[in-house]
Amino acid sequence: MALAFFLGIGAAGCAEVAPWQRGNLAKPQMALEPYPLQSSFRGHIYGSREAASGVSASEGGGCGCY
Amino acid sequence: MAAIEPVQPADDAQKPSAGPLNALTAAALALPGLVLPAAQAADDEFAVQYGHYQEENRQLFGVESKFRPITVDTLQGSGNLKLTDRVKFTFNYTQDTWSGATPIATAPLDMRGNSTSNSPDGITGATPNIVGDLFFDSNLNPLRTDGFGTVVGGPDRRLVHTLSSASPETRKQGSFKLGYEWDEAALDVGGGVSVEDDYESGFVNLGGRLDFNQKLTTLSGGLSYTSSDTNARIDHDALPYINTGAYDGQIERTAEGGKIIHGERKDWGAHLGLTQVLNKNALIEAGLGYTLGNGYMENPYKVVEVAFINDNIPPPEGAAYVGQVRALLEQRPDVRNQFNGNLGYVQHIDALDAALHFNYRYYLDDWGINAHTFESDWVQPLGHGWSVTPRIRYYSQDAADFYTPYLISNQPYNSGRFNRNLLPNHFSSDHRLSGYGALSGGVTVSKKFAKGVDVDLGFEYYTHQGGLKIGGGGEGDYADFDSWNVNGTLKVNLEALAAGADHGSHAHHHHHHGATAPAGVMFDHMLGKNGFMVGYRYMYSSQSGDMLHGSNLVGDPAIVAGGCGPNPCFVKPNSMAMHMHMLDIMYAPTDWLNLMVMPQFMDMSMTMRRLTGAPPDDEAPDGGVHIPHHVENGHETGGISDMGVYALVKLFDAGRHHLHMGLGLSIPFGAVDIELRRNHQVEGGLIHYGMQLGSGTLDFKPSLTYTGNYEDWAWGAQLSGTKRLEDHGETGYRLGDIFQTTAWGGYGLTNWLTATLRGVYTIQGAVQGEFNQFIDRLGPMDYPMNYGGRFWDVGFGLNATIPSGDLAGNSLGVEWLQPVATDYNGYQLDRDGTLSATWHYAF
Repeated sequence: MALAFFLGIGAAGCAEVAPWQRGNLAKPQMALEPYPLQSSFRGHIYGSREAASGVSASEGGGCGCY
Repeated sequence: MAAIEPVQPADDAQKPSAGPLNALTAAALALPGLVLPAAQAADDEFAVQYGHYQEENRQLFGVESKFRPITVDTLQGSGNLKLTDRVKFTFNYTQDTWSGATPIATAPLDMRGNSTSNSPDGITGATPNIVGDLFFDSNLNPLRTDGFGTVVGGPDRRLVHTLSSASPETRKQGSFKLGYEWDEAALDVGGGVSVEDDYESGFVNLGGRLDFNQKLTTLSGGLSYTSSDTNARIDHDALPYINTGAYDGQIERTAEGGKIIHGERKDWGAHLGLTQVLNKNALIEAGLGYTLGNGYMENPYKVVEVAFINDNIPPPEGAAYVGQVRALLEQRPDVRNQFNGNLGYVQHIDALDAALHFNYRYYLDDWGINAHTFESDWVQPLGHGWSVTPRIRYYSQDAADFYTPYLISNQPYNSGRFNRNLLPNHFSSDHRLSGYGALSGGVTVSKKFAKGVDVDLGFEYYTHQGGLKIGGGGEGDYADFDSWNVNGTLKVNLEALAAGADHGSHAHHHHHHGATAPAGVMFDHMLGKNGFMVGYRYMYSSQSGDMLHGSNLVGDPAIVAGGCGPNPCFVKPNSMAMHMHMLDIMYAPTDWLNLMVMPQFMDMSMTMRRLTGAPPDDEAPDGGVHIPHHVENGHETGGISDMGVYALVKLFDAGRHHLHMGLGLSIPFGAVDIELRRNHQVEGGLIHYGMQLGSGTLDFKPSLTYTGNYEDWAWGAQLSGTKRLEDHGETGYRLGDIFQTTAWGGYGLTNWLTATLRGVYTIQGAVQGEFNQFIDRLGPMDYPMNYGGRFWDVGFGLNATIPSGDLAGNSLGVEWLQPVATDYNGYQLDRDGTLSATWHYAF
């Protein structure tokens, strides 16, 4: 549903952004995940302390049974 | 993998003319995806990270627990390699070692779960007391007693976690991904394994990405499968008091009387994601995920307290019912359907050149848990390569349908022959399944040191509180806890480094005098002025097989009689393994002085066996209660170790011959107070000297190194030592001093590969002094005199320097050190050898 919604946005609502206008988008601070290793470390902590974070089981992660 | 080569920003007013524009457009569109999917990093980038997680004390209502709260030390490494223009390889390695106390159960406060049995409100604290009697009023409210069976107050509904300690345990996980990139699509396959003592899992995944709409839109998707096996030893301290009846079919009895619960679990996952560039300053991300979990999903270390109401026992004055409280292993459903959706938004703030990130995630499962996660951060570049990122996160979840702090069952326990059908099908008092909220905030400071070298330092404080749950109704404040975590990350991008070196004025590679020294030799070369080097050293060393006394093989009776001084020995080490990971950072302010910093992470493991001819277990100092655990479980420790800081000073440099001196200090960051867990209410005490993570003392580490080379030949020699500068560390002892001398020769087999051969002689003294805290002395490793000795080793090594291509300038080395003569102090386990592996890159 959300997907269809955003596909809709993609098709209709977005400004055309030419490649030479993408300078800001290419900056490191604009990365979807600026600190990936830190996120995976914290993700593992959240995953061993919260019920909803274990969904990334596809990436392993162990038991976290502490 | 990717993607973002910085496309030069251009003002609309200065649009390139049609020719260059077309070229630029074509070039930009050739990039494999302009927007990075999460966790995707640049090509030829390596990163290592150390992280530390620390929980704070739990609310125990006046009982002063001497258990330390949970801590976790994590080491992570990752690499992204471009095998060809289109084939990408990514690997990740993680290991974490955790130790400390964790809730095993929840009970009414009057259970006195954390009190010693002979001191009802004692401050010595901390027996996991999980069986006993509770008294209830006519409405089944627990009543306050004096701890000896007399009701002294009205209803007392307060709850408390019952804590149990654990010995350190280590988990290791390795995973990889292999990807193929088309111009506007990518496909990758991956897999990995995660191994720990009580849990193993293997996983595979398949992912894909499609770019369209001139790469303004990216669609991604993935499938995964995880298979996990639990083989958990049920809490040894509390085992006699835990009712395991629901799992009889899954429990294995060990030879030593322990119980191991076996469980299998499978998880299938699928996710879909969409990233859309909204305009030149903003993009949005949305995703949907589904995971089906199937099988044993319990936490094998959690029990639920059940008060069995026994009408046959007359209640004391002031009470209506007597509840016999028993601890049952928790029971969760075997199926869990999990859904989640997430929405992310990233906005560039032109005025500050900053980026605002916002993410929301919704989670729902058929265990009754709904959860919301809100996260926001602000990445603020500050100039000169610095940036600072404050971050805030809020999480809230409902309780699982079957979550209950404890249960009351209207039937007598009847020595375990109660009717299970009168209990709910599923029950758990794991606080992770309770209703609560968590608020956390932190900051990350990042610095780009040179083109391609980044260091990030992060800190986060986290508070878990029932009162923070959205809509209220969360668990009581007895379950609240706080924690914090820190991490330090070093990222090296070889592609950017190589590009920087090509353009810079220091295009020449700083010559490495004697860079062909074997991998096991440290401080072997110096850098030229303004040179910078990053490196990684790994060392694995193993001992196993027979015990030696001095140089002689000894059998069990001799060890029993002589290995433990005036006392008999009960166990001997069977195998010992040490893994050391060291970061090697070197900078040359001048030609004659180089500075080095070497942080270290270490983990160790050990197995033991009983000695034939040892006295009966009950004659051991601890009454023998730890022996079964020692011989069936082994020991593990891990975490940050001592850090070395060194200065190398050039003494002589005449073309073919070089001589330099090293002066260094080892700063005692490694823990020397790691404890084993309690068993059967007897303290485990400190783990022996050899498995503590540091020396505990400030150490002086001088060295003198000579290297020479002629045509295809290289050679060298080194004297080095370790002198403890303090009489003893915080736990009362110091390790022996070390003196080592080594000499080597190397021959260039090709222009990039060198073979080395070396000899090493090492003298190390015995441990001086002894632990000033309790150590449960059961085997030779627990005694200071059984450390150190005199050793001869021969090393066989290979060194490679990558001569060209993207990875040019990288040096790799590997060396196996084979023991040839061993003369131990006292009784020790024979040596198998040491493997060293290094990677270095200078620029």
